[in-house]
Amino acid sequence: MASPPSSQRTLSAFPLVTAEEFDAACRAFLNRVHVVGDTVMGWSSIRLHNRTTSSILSISRKIGHGSAHHNDGLYSNPRMDQGLRWEALEDDPEALIRTPEPSALQVFYDILLSPTYQVPVLYFQLRQGNQPGPLGIDAVYQYLVPDQYKNELQSVGIMGGISFGYHPDSGTPAFFVHPCQTADAMRRITGQRCITPESYLIIWLGLVGHRLGLQLPKELFTTERMLNSRVP
Amino acid sequence: MDSKATWGSIQKAVWDGRLPLQITLAPSESRTYDQTDPYLISYPRISYLPSLLPRLRTFFASSLIDPNTNPHQGWFSFEGVPLKWHYPVGLLYDLYAGADPASKGGTDTDLASVSDEDPLPWRLTVHFSDWPDEELVRLDADGMVMHDAFINSVKEADFLRNGTAKGIMTLSKEDSSGLWEAVRDVDLPLFQRISNVLIPPPSQPFRNVPIRLFLPLPPDSGSPSLKVVQSPIPPSILPSSGSASVAASQSILPAARGPQPQTIGSALNMLLPHLFPSRRTPVLAKPVLHGAAVPMSAPVEEVVRCSGYGDGWVYIVIRMMG
Repeated sequence: MASPPSSQRTLSAFPLVTAEEFDAACRAFLNRVHVVGDTVMGWSSIRLHNRTTSSILSISRKIGHGSAHHNDGLYSNPRMDQGLRWEALEDDPEALIRTPEPSALQVFYDILLSPTYQVPVLYFQLRQGNQPGPLGIDAVYQYLVPDQYKNELQSVGIMGGISFGYHPDSGTPAFFVHPCQTADAMRRITGQRCITPESYLIIWLGLVGHRLGLQLPKELFTTERMLNSRVP
Repeated sequence: MDSKATWGSIQKAVWDGRLPLQITLAPSESRTYDQTDPYLISYPRISYLPSLLPRLRTFFASSLIDPNTNPHQGWFSFEGVPLKWHYPVGLLYDLYAGADPASKGGTDTDLASVSDEDPLPWRLTVHFSDWPDEELVRLDADGMVMHDAFINSVKEADFLRNGTAKGIMTLSKEDSSGLWEAVRDVDLPLFQRISNVLIPPPSQPFRNVPIRLFLPLPPDSGSPSLKVVQSPIPPSILPSSGSASVAASQSILPAARGPQPQTIGSALNMLLPHLFPSRRTPVLAKPVLHGAAVPMSAPVEEVVRCSGYGDGWVYIVIRMMG
């Protein structure tokens, strides 16, 4: 399947991303996920929302107690999150069948483009069952941050690498990974190579998402060697 | 030098700006329901509401039904709307109180007398329980959350001004926390000393100008009650003759076709063309800053340098006219 031309061009202002490039990156990534199949991803859902300022890529994942790699009960009630405007996958027959058990943990990730830093920013909320309000920072470290990153994330800034602020679109409280170091980190990782918007997003997910439990399965990359920017 | 002196006086006026607040304990938390005496204070516009919490907790201690609440569990509301504590109180007032901004000709007395209720003192409610988790970020006992939010905001302004995050990184640890203390304690001399390190001198123009626009939305338009608009705003704009001729004109006629300063009017016209069809005259809406209508002709960089909030940002509330 041919991708839209804009997703194949290299970034115009690397390590920064324009709104158009970010949108192209999200669309290309969404296509890739759909080709691999939603169940392989281990996510409850992935959606792209269009806003006038920037696209928002929303991913949600259920966290099983000690069984994070199983896909049991993958599809939970999409209406449990009002704050991040969760929407059901209309074409998913299972979407409304299973309801979450009261203690089920669900994480909602929203990836947006920062209008200040012009890099993607990861906002996220961790919610438990029907409990009102998102869970706090301790639960974030307990359930989302892999052990090898805990010290690193807690040692920077006033409150560590994870800040608590307001979701720029919904205005609800959400955690976010502060993006002021993102451009430098992206430059260090990729060197000065010309990369496509989608490659940028995938590297960024590996850099930032990975630290907050947003893993990409290897199946995403088995169809092609995308990081070399080769067109399939 | 002359304009520098004026900048200083404007900055001092901004820091001296105060709002009379009348703060009532939420009736449901009071032993005397709605008969609790209110707390009155003249409070700096650039300050943040949570700094009042220890005083308020003490003031209302004998009235509280639940004596075990802590100051950092306190939050404020106005007419039922929880107030986001990371915005300075002056901005919250400009956003929610519905007061007419002061303008060059002074406050319109006819209008003031027509309005059914005087917005001053601004009547707020303080709560020490039932934190609105879906709307407000929780505070902590040590004030770290508030400090973190402030520094994040400072970093963003710094990044816009310089195009890098290096400015705030080069501040010493003392100056970095000193900046927050200066704003918290409304200590202008300390603030100016640290600002002189952080903010490039006027001879080095900003790359972009840290300005956010707040658009109040009608109540039926969905969950967020306001929309925040932000886009990189350069402090000067190239002449409209087109970028192709710029290089040539710069080498031949350096003075004739230089970049024009970006004004409040040109920035509003660029970001919100439907609300601001003219760069010179407010037609449908007017920009409000620190309770006053901002002149459309004011250069944005000068406005930010002399009348920014403590975090370096200028927050402009867009107010519909008529």
